[in-house]
Amino acid sequence: MSAENKGRPKVLITGASSALARLVAGALSPKYDLVGVDPRPAPSNSHFPGEFVVADYHSRKLDEVFQKYEFEAVMHLGRIRDSQNYSSQYRFQMNVIGTQKLLELCKQNAVKNLIVMSTYHVYGAHRLNALQLTEESPLRASQSFPELVDAVELDHAATTFMWRNREVRTTVLRPVNVIGKHIRNTICSLLRSGLCPKIFGFDPLMQFIDEKDMARALILALEQPHPGVFNVAGEGLIAYSHAIRHANAMIVPLPPFITAGLVRVIAEVSRMNLPPYLVDYFKYPTIVNDDIFRTKFGYQPKVKTVQSLKNLGTPTERKKLESKSVLDESV
Amino acid sequence: MLKRILMETDFEKLKALVSKFEHLEVMEIPGFEDRLSRLNVELNSAGFDRWGLHPETLRRFAPFMYVLYKKYFRVEATGLENIPEGRVLYIGNHGGQIPLDAMMAGMALLLESEPPRIARAMVERWVPTVPFISSLFTRIGAMIGDPNNCRELLLHDQSVMVFPEGAKGSGKLYKDRYQLQRFGTGFMRLALETNTPIIPVAVIGTEETYPSIYNFKKLASLLGAPYFPVTPFFPLFGPLGLVPLPAKVTVRFGKPIFFEGKENEPEEKIREKVQVVKDALQSEINVGLEIRGEKIFSGAAK
Repeated sequence: MSAENKGRPKVLITGASSALARLVAGALSPKYDLVGVDPRPAPSNSHFPGEFVVADYHSRKLDEVFQKYEFEAVMHLGRIRDSQNYSSQYRFQMNVIGTQKLLELCKQNAVKNLIVMSTYHVYGAHRLNALQLTEESPLRASQSFPELVDAVELDHAATTFMWRNREVRTTVLRPVNVIGKHIRNTICSLLRSGLCPKIFGFDPLMQFIDEKDMARALILALEQPHPGVFNVAGEGLIAYSHAIRHANAMIVPLPPFITAGLVRVIAEVSRMNLPPYLVDYFKYPTIVNDDIFRTKFGYQPKVKTVQSLKNLGTPTERKKLESKSVLDESV
Repeated sequence: MLKRILMETDFEKLKALVSKFEHLEVMEIPGFEDRLSRLNVELNSAGFDRWGLHPETLRRFAPFMYVLYKKYFRVEATGLENIPEGRVLYIGNHGGQIPLDAMMAGMALLLESEPPRIARAMVERWVPTVPFISSLFTRIGAMIGDPNNCRELLLHDQSVMVFPEGAKGSGKLYKDRYQLQRFGTGFMRLALETNTPIIPVAVIGTEETYPSIYNFKKLASLLGAPYFPVTPFFPLFGPLGLVPLPAKVTVRFGKPIFFEGKENEPEEKIREKVQVVKDALQSEINVGLEIRGEKIFSGAAK
């Protein structure tokens, strides 16, 4: 860290290997000193604009990082979602135990702002869901799917922390499906692959948020700390079949009687990244209302849903992108 | 064998036949595009509104509904001039096994009221589990009858159609037709909370379309449905028994009723107000039945 940068606020970003974190980091780097942490090594294509530490969130190494820098703010974007390569035990360890450790460190080191990125998945897809879920709606996800326990527990840990420790201003964001040409989550991979499973006879409404809008939302949360839990959504609703069409993919119909158990077997056999809980998300709408976030933070999505679906590109285009740096993208 | 069939089939003719069906206009609805464009809805880039209404689906579905509306049930609507501007809560009688009443009342509002209106119907909670119906209903403006849904819509100045009898109403037997079942009270609390006028909507005729003589409850619970009707034709004649009887349908929109009070009033006070609505609706029904007379299939409407 150079001498002239000494007075700049320091921000810790977890999950720093992910495209979204680097997108955020790229936009923040002119104003903040950044430190990135991720259990995965940094991708070779783009260096993190700041120091990058490879560490598990519950390891001792994180203590040292916190002692070395006096962080003004922490952005916890490092929830591990990949259910294909990581076992549920590992995800629980990282997402729940790791988050608890991180929260504890924030408290001990008098961090002023904490932003935790949760997910709309915590509400769970359920036939009794109101069409617009508000932040007060019940979190039904872990009721039906043990695969989502870690996501719900992470959210729970963050909100509990928010109420207990008012001196750390905590903002918990529950964004909808983040999509974008750099993003590599399950829904993006599906839409990009050209073949999307859809349950015959069911065509739920979905919401998507573009990676750039999501990055903007995270930066807004960092710059105007309003403690609370907020849903974050993109431009508007779209039926799943329309989303598939706009992403230039084809529908692979699944029979209506398909169960999560069956999907578990299919995913196991075919080695496809197909989390069983998606069965419900492909059947029932899980639509969140982000009015509060919009009014409180002045957030306005800029990328149209249809446009960002079209931007997804093909797997080969995505591969080519890996040679370019996501940091070159302006948010 | 297969080869011969393939060789002898005149594909050009087949193609022409298919394209004929594709371009088959079931029925031109006069001024429909104009009415659709004047609806109070805000669409996003994907063509959906905030609650999943998709006018494109409406456009495709409407001609079929129009045939039912104009030719089959020969619907006549009265009292459309009673509807005030802004948000409204339509309270209707429910009967006839499938929500033909909601569709016909909705079509009347879409096609005949001025300005054209879209009524968002609150539907049974098991609808999301029914293939095809679930997504179709959302796209034409229906959603599950959750108080949060209703409140959201009313606060955004949208009009909502509620059948407070619920499944008890739509599943009622032929002998109970036009007798309002127990009303839920949730709609009244929402009307008070959002200061919304209530319009009783009597739908005459739809309660005779599927004359249910027995409710097969055991089978219904097996299917996860709220009721399973047995009519003289269904399930005896299979899918043919699903054809509704072509009763003459009248939709009567009553005068708006305004209520004052708080949404957290004790239940008995709310119940009194609900009774006012129920009485108004029942008298609207009785007037409609009287005008229609004995002739279910051809009675008068005005």
